[in-house]
Amino acid sequence: MTRAVLVPGVLALLPEYAGLEDPVADLRAACLEAVRWLGPDPTILADEQGARVGRSLLRAAGFETGLRPSSTTAGLLVVGNGSARRTEKAPGHLDERAHGFDDDLRAALASSDATWPDLTLGDSLWASLDGIGRLREIRPPGVTATIDYDDDPFGVQYWVMRWQW
Amino acid sequence: MTLRLGRHAFADDATLMMAIVNRTPDSFYDQGATWAEERALERVALVVEQGAEIVDIGGIKAAPGVEISAAEEMERVVEFVARVRAAYPDLVISVDTWRASVAAAVCAAGADVINDAWGGADPELVDAAAEGGAAVICTHTGGVTPRTRPYRIEYDDVVAAAIADTVAYAERAIAAGVAKESVVIDPAHDFGKNTFHSLELTRRLGEMVDTGYPVLVSLSNKDFVGETLDLPVGSRLVGTLAATAVCALACARIYRVHEVVETRQVVDMVSSIAGRRPPRRAIRGLQ
Repeated sequence: MTRAVLVPGVLALLPEYAGLEDPVADLRAACLEAVRWLGPDPTILADEQGARVGRSLLRAAGFETGLRPSSTTAGLLVVGNGSARRTEKAPGHLDERAHGFDDDLRAALASSDATWPDLTLGDSLWASLDGIGRLREIRPPGVTATIDYDDDPFGVQYWVMRWQW
Repeated sequence: MTLRLGRHAFADDATLMMAIVNRTPDSFYDQGATWAEERALERVALVVEQGAEIVDIGGIKAAPGVEISAAEEMERVVEFVARVRAAYPDLVISVDTWRASVAAAVCAAGADVINDAWGGADPELVDAAAEGGAAVICTHTGGVTPRTRPYRIEYDDVVAAAIADTVAYAERAIAAGVAKESVVIDPAHDFGKNTFHSLELTRRLGEMVDTGYPVLVSLSNKDFVGETLDLPVGSRLVGTLAATAVCALACARIYRVHEVVETRQVVDMVSSIAGRRPPRRAIRGLQ
């Protein structure tokens, strides 16, 4: 049995960037709930910054690093997100292709039977796809996601999703 | 140091706004705007809304003028303190007085702090504060008589004098029974000082902070700002805020002010620059 979770690599989730008010409170709550469901010591699929966010979420969820899983369930923590070019105020300004790309990416993440978009567009659309690309290779057919969070509050597309196979 | 102001306690890193509320017909800045009790209550409501943690209620203007007896001073402030206490249980109430008899009466009416702007002129004031469970603000005036202007006062070292006098006063208050965490020191800009003295105290405020006592600064629209910039009362806010920023960087804890909102913004901004306060809400570049 494998459990997998997707969270976005949002640096505002890191404690070193905490303000007095949490600008990503809803997202954080969804991430922590999903990570707790995932369990301790998952394999992290992410770029370097995303791995930092992933480890931080695991700590915040109460899982100390180095713990071995207590069951035979394997865990995958995927850190990645859609385009950061979804609005004029977005970090990468507006790219008209961003919404279509994210729609296709959402569909492919939600069901392993859907067609993936061209992930080579990720760089130009400021999408963080390292971990998601590796998930694509690992996840078997016939798996659908539970979607816990799906929003783009700062012009960046975030998802929190869970899979089990 | 953790700060206890009467009924209220504050964390080590808390900065506090003390809003001036005059029950006087003639104070220099507001010219009697809150002389009427209802106007003064409106002023309290406004500064509470603006986020002031403390109100400092005064019945006698600092500058020379008509003599106000203790009985008349009490008439102006005691009942008013009781009304504010009843209306705002969470608000710290300070009373600006040098008289022990007034201090005792306002403590009984609900005051949390005795702000002795005249540096211990009445030796029994600390006993009244101790008896009433109030905090004391120990100010430095260079030994002048209350309600007199400085005239040709000089110091070998104004900061050393301010530290020596306020710490001695603080120790006297503690000996009288005031709790150590309820003693605050104030260099008292303009009081017994020329503009050069007040500027130097601002520049070297960190030395007062190093005593370990929480430091209050009262800078608001004062003459040292006016003389420095050649600006009349009413045009001194920017200069006041510049001095405020310097004191905030040096870790002053309490700011006695006319303008609560502007001062709070400056103190918060400086505290965040100094790394003592996180930004309110940070997302830029962190999405």
